[in-house]
Amino acid sequence: MKKYVFRRLCTGFLAVAVVFVLNFFIIKAAPGSPVEILAGRDNPSQQLIDNLNEKYGFNQPLYIQLVKYVSNILKGDLGDSIIYNENILKIIMDKMGTSLLLTLTAIIFAVIIGTAAGLFSATHQRGIVDKVFTSTSYILNSMPSFWLAIMFIMVFATHLGWFPTSGYSDIRHTYTGIRHVLDVMHHLFLPVLTMTLLQLPIYFKIAKSSVIQVLSEDFITTFKATGMNKKKIYNKYVFRNAILPIITVFGISLAFVITGSVLVETVFSWPGTGRVMMNAIMNRDYPLIMGIYLILSLSISIMMLLVDLVYAYIDPRIRNSYK
Amino acid sequence: MNNIKNKFKKALKTINSNSQLKWGCILLCFIIIMIIITPFITKYSPYEISCDMLLPPNPDNILGTDGLGKDVFSMILYGARTSITIGLISALISGVIGTFIGGIAGFVGGKVDAVISEIINIFLMIPTFFLILMIVAIFGSSMFNVMLVLGLTSWPSNARLMRVEALSLKERTFVKSSIAIGESNWKILFNYIIPNGIYPIISNTTLSISGAILTEASLSFLGLGDPNIVSWGQMIFDGKSYMATAPWITTFSGLAILILVVSFYLIGDGLNVVLNPKLKNVNK
Amino acid sequence: MSKILELKNVSIKYKSNKKEVLAADNISFSVEQGQSVGIVGESGSGKSTLAMGILRLLPENTSELTGEILFKGQDITKLSDEEFNALRWVELSVVFQKAMNTLSPIHKIGEQFLDIYRVHDTTSSNEEIFKNINEMLKLVNLNERVLKLYPHELSGGMLQRVSIALGLMHKPSLIVLDESTTALDVVTQGQILDEIKKLEQTLKMTRIMITHDMAVVASSCENVIVLYAGRLMEFGKVKDVIKNPKHPYTVGLLNSYPTLRGEKNNLKGIEGTLPDLSKRFAGCIFADRCPHSSEKCFKAVPKQKTLEDGRIISCYLYE
Repeated sequence: MKKYVFRRLCTGFLAVAVVFVLNFFIIKAAPGSPVEILAGRDNPSQQLIDNLNEKYGFNQPLYIQLVKYVSNILKGDLGDSIIYNENILKIIMDKMGTSLLLTLTAIIFAVIIGTAAGLFSATHQRGIVDKVFTSTSYILNSMPSFWLAIMFIMVFATHLGWFPTSGYSDIRHTYTGIRHVLDVMHHLFLPVLTMTLLQLPIYFKIAKSSVIQVLSEDFITTFKATGMNKKKIYNKYVFRNAILPIITVFGISLAFVITGSVLVETVFSWPGTGRVMMNAIMNRDYPLIMGIYLILSLSISIMMLLVDLVYAYIDPRIRNSYK
Repeated sequence: MNNIKNKFKKALKTINSNSQLKWGCILLCFIIIMIIITPFITKYSPYEISCDMLLPPNPDNILGTDGLGKDVFSMILYGARTSITIGLISALISGVIGTFIGGIAGFVGGKVDAVISEIINIFLMIPTFFLILMIVAIFGSSMFNVMLVLGLTSWPSNARLMRVEALSLKERTFVKSSIAIGESNWKILFNYIIPNGIYPIISNTTLSISGAILTEASLSFLGLGDPNIVSWGQMIFDGKSYMATAPWITTFSGLAILILVVSFYLIGDGLNVVLNPKLKNVNK
Repeated sequence: MSKILELKNVSIKYKSNKKEVLAADNISFSVEQGQSVGIVGESGSGKSTLAMGILRLLPENTSELTGEILFKGQDITKLSDEEFNALRWVELSVVFQKAMNTLSPIHKIGEQFLDIYRVHDTTSSNEEIFKNINEMLKLVNLNERVLKLYPHELSGGMLQRVSIALGLMHKPSLIVLDESTTALDVVTQGQILDEIKKLEQTLKMTRIMITHDMAVVASSCENVIVLYAGRLMEFGKVKDVIKNPKHPYTVGLLNSYPTLRGEKNNLKGIEGTLPDLSKRFAGCIFADRCPHSSEKCFKAVPKQKTLEDGRIISCYLYE
């Protein structure tokens, strides 16, 4: 078990390191001088250039630059953003909550509804409901997220006026307490609906195929032969065995949760990390891009490790293969 | 001639045996026919700006016109070429790289395999969409760049599939015997391992065509597409401003993406079942 | 002696892709209390299908069983699922072919034993149940330590013992062993067969042994049923059938096994392959592979005939 954790930690660490170096070289390779890019202006003052050169070591050999860059980050200094003119860590921390609210809610809905639908389809194969579920899942899977978002806005916000078109809360009023919560939920509805629908097919598909697979296993026949009732077989043995691949997929989506969804956040003007990232890219705010990327890969590594641990906890075969 | 006829018949029978494959092929054939006859069914150029702005669907512009007076129907038809080209080429790049790297890892084994597997694992952990966004934003958004970046970021899943295939093929008698005869490793890899292990890659590559089409549309929607070509993502982005007054622009271009993507998804899933004998029995 | 199980004209059909496969055709035989029966046949002969049919474990939507199955005089095909479930494991038990997959891989063996025991015993305390389970494990030479383990932590032979212990848990009166010893090496197989025979006497149970291996039947059963392509070819005492096989198929089957003692014979296979069961056959299903077949063999199915030594046979050579 210790060996297992150690191995996963190594992979996670390596992934972060690779992202690190990759980022560094992408920015190095970008057209234009890095000082100008970091300074963010066409004609930066000499003092600013000197300061940046001092900090990042641009006039020194490449490997020293890399070392400086790494040591800055290890000190916890991600630098300041050019467009927001603020500490990068603070920007990300500020926006992470709203992103989490949106993506986490959507993923939880998707995993519950998708798994339930998949379970039903698997046990009622070739029935009408199964056919409807399966074709719906194909269609949802093929939809561009931004288009679905726009369609919802067009129908439910612009046309019917049931929901606000965009934003996190009503800026004309500053509600507090329960009114504020309701207001946010009102704004949250369409983005969450969009994201849930887009994530559904993933869980539906994996749940369906995993249940079908487990049902074809020999041990299910054993339990049937013993006279155990169907409910017990399903609730305990089918479900526990079928849930393993669902957990993996759930974990991977959780890992990406803090990035929010660039597209859905953009369409709904949802103030989350996805939009910060988009702004950073559009405005070539390199320090901010690097910072977000770093935090993102760090969180993905941690989440993946957690998923692996949970998986090993549930599946004894994995636990034992690393003894 | 007769042989070809039989093979064609057999292929048709296989396609007919799987409903996903059947519907996917029907949809795709429809799209391809539309693309081929494009010049005959629309009289407008997709770049032609006119004074008839934001016209709703009418007999002349059957899907209406956009904010610059361009005909939406002909833009959608020409946009299909863009989407299919980008999807095919980037999926092909990723398929070739993945097959090659995965094949080497599984066949050579040992330390090479350990290193490549680790690289695959790392790449699977990297948030690719952001990486694509960043590269396209920095290095320019020409169609060539977009295809290259999409291909270069999506190979790990193919490599992982090919590696598993190569690992199991290596243990088979026909490969072992050719090793014993002393055939060169490259020859074994290209003559035995890759041709016999390619089937999962074929279906996965078809699925990644769908993925690539969606990603390209997303890039164009975010303003990171090639500005010199007609692209569905771009159309949706432009149509967004006229959401209230001219919903047809966004609606129809989105539907076009949906149909094209769904056809490749269906074919990919169908191929997976048809080419994978293990799944075949389960699904019966 | 009383009949514990009697099959009357049992047929089983599989439906797949518009095709209908007759996996068992009009099979009748009976099993006496304490007289274990071996069902032998090649792969595809329908022997497992027949066993699954008796145990009501055939796939529900794609198969159909007709005829009567009398268990202790009661027609169990007429029972509701609930009534049948009450019989399962307590009266009718089974040990499956692939011991590796008999139990859920992610639950401890002990937990699964307890769950299965509880199906038919809701009143005893856990201690009492585990006392019984441990006893059963001792019978198959297993340490109670295995209960704390997961299936993948045991060897194939141990798992086979585990599934036998599981099948014997409620001391059933009839147990079906579906190729249960095939995957084991010969030494382990012999040991387990000896153990099972001993258990039979202590627990007073009757066994139906499904196998393709005539040697296994020869060393552990009283009677034998020879199946070919879902049809009963020959039924009789193991001794008689092996010494003096009457049906041409049985002769062919026995000729393809080597003997330890006696003269050296060349091993012979049977010419031809199994017929396609989705097609209808007018005559004897073995006719086109049979060295003695004559015209009438192709025209009508030979009737089952009981010979004076109690042997049942369906072949025109004995009419």
